[in-house]
Amino acid sequence: MNLLIRIHDWFSFLGPGVSYGIAYLLETIFILIFVGISFMALIYVFRKYMARIQLRIGPNRVGKYGLLQVVADAFKLIGKESILPANRDDLAYRLAPLIIMMTTMVSFVIIPYGSLAYFGSLTITHSDVTLVLLFGVLSLLPIGEILAGISTKSNYALLGALRGVAKDVSFEVPMLISALAIIMISSRSFITGAQTYNSLSLAGIVENQVIPYGIIDPLGLLIFYISMVARASFTPFDLAESDSELITGYTTEYSGMRFGLFYIGLFGMVYLGSFFVSILYLGAYNGPASSDLGFIYLFIKTIILVLIAFLAWVSLPRIRVDKFVNLGWKYLLPISIINLVYAGLFVLYIR
Amino acid sequence: MVATVKEVKIPKKPIPVIGSLQTMYNIGRFMFKKPVTVQYPEDKGEIPERFRFRIFLSPEACIGCTLCEQVCPNHSIKMEVWKIDEEAKPKGDVVIETARGARENLQNKRHIYPDVNFGTCTVCRNCEEICPTDAIYLTHQFEDARTRNSFTYSPKELTMQEDEVIK
Repeated sequence: MNLLIRIHDWFSFLGPGVSYGIAYLLETIFILIFVGISFMALIYVFRKYMARIQLRIGPNRVGKYGLLQVVADAFKLIGKESILPANRDDLAYRLAPLIIMMTTMVSFVIIPYGSLAYFGSLTITHSDVTLVLLFGVLSLLPIGEILAGISTKSNYALLGALRGVAKDVSFEVPMLISALAIIMISSRSFITGAQTYNSLSLAGIVENQVIPYGIIDPLGLLIFYISMVARASFTPFDLAESDSELITGYTTEYSGMRFGLFYIGLFGMVYLGSFFVSILYLGAYNGPASSDLGFIYLFIKTIILVLIAFLAWVSLPRIRVDKFVNLGWKYLLPISIINLVYAGLFVLYIR
Repeated sequence: MVATVKEVKIPKKPIPVIGSLQTMYNIGRFMFKKPVTVQYPEDKGEIPERFRFRIFLSPEACIGCTLCEQVCPNHSIKMEVWKIDEEAKPKGDVVIETARGARENLQNKRHIYPDVNFGTCTVCRNCEEICPTDAIYLTHQFEDARTRNSFTYSPKELTMQEDEVIK
């Protein structure tokens, strides 16, 4: 009994087509509300965490313990005047933040969330190729960045966009190759050696993970996590928006809520990446005791990964552009290919 | 004497990931330390025991010797005429309201009392030190924020507590 069937049962008097449509719609809205609330919580936690590490107190004036600070900031951003550059390419300018935000949002619909006590399984997309689908959706991000960079006719924005696209392209390759290693490991059960069920879907990979693949393939975990943090342009890798050199990169000419959408994209990407890593490498909703609280396990694993990314943000300085691109092509790519060979040997010889 | 050349050790090339992890660990430990921020209006923080700022005056002890005016390095102190009993007359009261209780000070025939400009006062405590009767003294109170043109405290205001002074 999952959430989809439950909602479908409520509307079953409308006939199967309409009721399934409504069920999918409501479930998507449910998940997106959850994601939106957790974005806000994430930004709040990030600000508090950063403050505590810098021996400050952090937001504590709006609401109890400053809990409503993010809401106040959101209202401030919405209420602000949107200043449009004169020479802009209008359609591209308006489209870019939407592409970034919608890409992040749509990616959250694809993730298998596991089951939660009464609600049953919260997974929305029951496709056989969700892993490929997720990579496909994520590959839309550079389009948003390059549109934002070119449409504003600003030098800073253009340089930021070039760096952003370089970041996305050079870290997508090691990420994909590490995911390929996971597909290979997942294709055979390493206990019985039998062919397993569907290793191209995220849910299938989670079902096949008897022990977390992070233990079998720690190198892949490291590569994938670093690449994911890099693609989210979190601070050691925030070349695309490096404040001190490029003002804020491709978001330079954006103000008001359009800038807020880019900000949602930034935090959304690291959140999504942590979900992705915990699904592929940490066993997602498989917990120590099999129960209905799979969603909670997934959430805890994700939050721990997010906190590690936050710690990297507050402690590591930004790396130089050439070193950054070298990290992608000269180090992570060869290591990920070695990792792929290791995964192949593992599948062949270890049962 | 022959100078010996010491061999300079070139440090080993560090392993890249380990250094970053060490940094993250060292900085992450600050998470569990107490914040240094003081939330001022609610939390006054710790004031040192011998901290002194606000100048007070006890008018019944002041003899109007002008030593404090002479010793003040910034000329923050000026003597001012303050007739306590004349102020009392129009009100019809016998005693006027000062912090220390007021009456005519027989030792201060010229009726002159110090008048302090806190805008230029450097809290050097020379006035407190030189005062022969301990009439002028400094306390640990420090919250005397005022509007720009009224940093000067009249002798009457110097006898009042900070919340009684009209700013």
